Amino acid sequence: MIHDASLPEAELQQFQKRSLLVGIVGLALCGAGMLFNREEFFRSYLLAYLFWIGIALGCLAIVMLHHLSGGAWGIVIRRLLESATRTLPLMALLFLPIVFGLSHLYEWARPEALGDKILRHKSLYLNVPFFLVRAALYFAAWIAVVYFLNKWSLKQDQTAAPSLSRQLELLSGPGLVIYGATMTFASIDWVMSLEAHWFSTIYGLSFMVGQVLGAFAFVIAVAILLSSRKPLSEVISSEHLHDLGKLLLAFVMLWAYLAFSQFLIMFSGNLPEEIPWYIRRQQGGWRWIGLLLILLHFALPFLLLLSRSLKRDAKKLLAVAALVIAMRFVDLLWQVSPAFHPEGFHFNWMDLAAPAGIGGIWLASFARQLKGRPVLPLHDPFFQEAVQHGRE
Amino acid sequence: MKRRPPIYGLMAEFDTPSDLVAATLRAREAGYRKMDGYSPYPIEELAEAIGFHSSRLPLIVLIGGLIGCAGGYYLQYWVSVMDYPLNIGGRPLNSWPSFIPVTFETTVLVAALAAVLGMLGLNGLPMPYHPVFNVSRFALASRDRFFLCIEATDPKFDHEETMRFLKSLKPRSVSQVPH
Amino acid sequence: MKEPLKTVIVEPGKPPIIEPGHTFASVTDKISSVVLTRRTPRGWYLGFGVSFVLVMVLLYALGKLMVVGTGIWGVNHPVGWGFAIINFVWWIGIGHAGTLISAILLLLRQEWRTSINRFAEAMTLFAVACAGIFPLIHVGRPWLPYWLFPYPNTMGLWPQFRSPLVWDVFAVSTYATVSLLFWFVGLIPDLATLRDRSRRQLPRVIYGILAMGWRGSAMHWHRYEMAYLLLAGLSTPLVLSVHTIVSLDFAVSIIPGWHATIFPPYFVAGAIYAGFAMVLILAIPIRAIYRLEDFITLRHLDNMAKIILVTGLIVAYGYMMEAFMGWYSANPYEEYMVLNRMRGPYAPLYWALIACNALAPQVFWLKRARSSIPVLFIIAIIVSIGMWLERFIIVVTSLHRDFLPSSWGMYYPTVWDWATFLGTTGLFVSLIFLFVRFLPMISIFEMRTILPQARVEE
Repeated sequence: MIHDASLPEAELQQFQKRSLLVGIVGLALCGAGMLFNREEFFRSYLLAYLFWIGIALGCLAIVMLHHLSGGAWGIVIRRLLESATRTLPLMALLFLPIVFGLSHLYEWARPEALGDKILRHKSLYLNVPFFLVRAALYFAAWIAVVYFLNKWSLKQDQTAAPSLSRQLELLSGPGLVIYGATMTFASIDWVMSLEAHWFSTIYGLSFMVGQVLGAFAFVIAVAILLSSRKPLSEVISSEHLHDLGKLLLAFVMLWAYLAFSQFLIMFSGNLPEEIPWYIRRQQGGWRWIGLLLILLHFALPFLLLLSRSLKRDAKKLLAVAALVIAMRFVDLLWQVSPAFHPEGFHFNWMDLAAPAGIGGIWLASFARQLKGRPVLPLHDPFFQEAVQHGRE
Repeated sequence: MKRRPPIYGLMAEFDTPSDLVAATLRAREAGYRKMDGYSPYPIEELAEAIGFHSSRLPLIVLIGGLIGCAGGYYLQYWVSVMDYPLNIGGRPLNSWPSFIPVTFETTVLVAALAAVLGMLGLNGLPMPYHPVFNVSRFALASRDRFFLCIEATDPKFDHEETMRFLKSLKPRSVSQVPH
Repeated sequence: MKEPLKTVIVEPGKPPIIEPGHTFASVTDKISSVVLTRRTPRGWYLGFGVSFVLVMVLLYALGKLMVVGTGIWGVNHPVGWGFAIINFVWWIGIGHAGTLISAILLLLRQEWRTSINRFAEAMTLFAVACAGIFPLIHVGRPWLPYWLFPYPNTMGLWPQFRSPLVWDVFAVSTYATVSLLFWFVGLIPDLATLRDRSRRQLPRVIYGILAMGWRGSAMHWHRYEMAYLLLAGLSTPLVLSVHTIVSLDFAVSIIPGWHATIFPPYFVAGAIYAGFAMVLILAIPIRAIYRLEDFITLRHLDNMAKIILVTGLIVAYGYMMEAFMGWYSANPYEEYMVLNRMRGPYAPLYWALIACNALAPQVFWLKRARSSIPVLFIIAIIVSIGMWLERFIIVVTSLHRDFLPSSWGMYYPTVWDWATFLGTTGLFVSLIFLFVRFLPMISIFEMRTILPQARVEE
């Protein structure tokens, strides 16, 4: 029996401090960059923001999937997921710079957009006030779901009431519907509308799958890193890693399936309103980034994760998870940056500084949330079973 | 040519899977190697007890899949680029995105055929005749009974000795398996 | 490899997947007696008779088609894809639940699948058989189907591999082959059981030939399980690919309402949705007639209702995205297509489809609805109708108003369209009746593995 489920305080404290330092330095550099190149600052910031909020929201989706489906894999990482979701209020705050950069980022947010027939048609939806109202709604919805999920989870720790599991399950069904609806429109607002003439009905779905994939890779990495320390070292076994590895594989495949579906349909249709999106992403260096995505975002992790022994080997699985996390960033770069630089590959130093900045602050917040609560849901009615599962 | 032993082997019948696995482990300890367990459903522990671990089947399926994948793509490439190049709506002759669906299907088709034929081939099925069916009670192996058969070709096999050994395992019954 | 068939999961607070008190012998006897010893119920003769009459209707309609030609159907300019394609997509979609139950749920270690996988797989095969009829007869010259395949010929011609219709040929034939293999491999041990238990000569010989000399050897089981898992692993992406390719038949074109990137996942979800509805439609009467409530428990029905709810939500998401993007695209044709569906001549069917597919399954949020057999049965029928309407709306509304108003028209199915469609339902049902009569409808050996006494104690 495990009684103490808190992580070593001192180590986390140190990690939190270091992350915060990196974050502050990164954001300070970006702030300086903004003075010289306002345009590039907002582009890099948006990219970094999408990457980190994607992990937080992906964790939210996974935690709800777990409440609905059950399974030992979810119980052992549940607290890591919950800690990541509790960073969403911070992410709402970090959204503010984007609000001030709308006219730099989105062509529809500039006054001359009304001269364009298509943008005029879309202005009913794509206009600044409505965009802000929608963003506020998204955050309100996410934070509300996060609030109750975490509140009841904490209560379960204190009271051990089994009815709370049922309550969490009941919230997670509608919660996932809310996530699906809001995230679809958030992806249209924040990313798809960067190229406001272009549209794709699968986009929201593939954006969400990307988030969940990134979040899976992230929690797998964190779980492996923490599994060398108490108390997770007593719980997480190769059996759990195997299950998590399978889920990672499933999402790698799902991501590739959705990305390829969109590409094949647009390639075959070859319509002037769709194909330019891909033409821009095949010019100059972007073509090579696209190839890199096929090879390292799909082919390599897919082939590696087919191996049973790799999924059970913490070090190797960690390496694959790290690769997937890195490729999630490259994928977002390939989705976002060609909108601004259709002529070819472009990489600004702030494309590194901004992710480091937001990431540092986000990770510091994540570490703080991890410290605050037991890292294992000891009073989950299936907790013992989940531990037992790992020992079989 | 080696002389054919007069019978195929001796067979003990058990009531539960645990008895069968325990008996098999005992037989293995006693030095018997040429034996097989028969059960009405798969028992993982039984294959282990008999000393059967890996299988070449995944490799066969992998090879089948690779053949299907390369063959499927090459078929389309050869047809569309080499044998009869046609301009279809200005698409490249080697339109690789359009060739992926068929390549995927042929990969799965050949791999699945390899899995089934490989399994049957390694198991030696279909097998029109096998001595174990000469034991009339063996019909229960597909219902609710568990059998252990020690084959006469085992170097340690000795009719009396093996019979005594099998009886010591407290089976329901022990019978001779004629050829 | 860890064997998912073997672990018995008893979850507190959830109804069991098999009622307590059964033994290896009772499970074997109960399931095999339906085939071997029990008297065939009178309802069987009645049901088979009725469905066989429908098969005759099918044959008559097909004969008429061969003699007269596709002119007997309602398809004409501008709607060239009518009932044949609607029914093809509907049937093949229904088939998908069978593979999903047998393959994906196996990989996910969902033990409750055990008692329903066999007849769900049979359902797949028969649905694919019904589906396969339609493209064949729709090509106009059904005696030349081999032209669809790439074979060396004196004309020097090859299929056009950039066309999704050729992908479809590969997808459907691969799917039919692999489903048959999967089903047959699953049957081998049970065929051996029937061989050993039948008392009459002829069945013994037939089951014996089909069982191929299976004797339940430990080594055989080991390889067998591995092959079964590998087949499951292959079937899982296969089943997704089949309906994806069916959706590409539409989406690769540039017709408004067809050319939508969401089509692949939305079609796949719709297929699973319709398929599970069909499993419920079949399972509910079968478990009542053959008294299989011990094996197909309320837990099974509850889980299937949940899957229907989830896939129904994905389908509803697809409708929402189509409508939103129709407006957002700012393309007048896209926008018109959406408005035409909602307000045009086929609007009643569109709203009926929304009611059937997006609204009706929402009652499954309630536990009470998921555990009420009449509600489950009614919703399953509504969903089946809704999914048929969906294919009707997709096929017909996108074609009947072409880009030029001079090429506008209406589509009216003829009596021969209906006769062919009803005929395939008769074919499907009579195949199900034959299957239930002559093969074990529940996997006997897998049922043995989920009994508590199947565990080896050391």
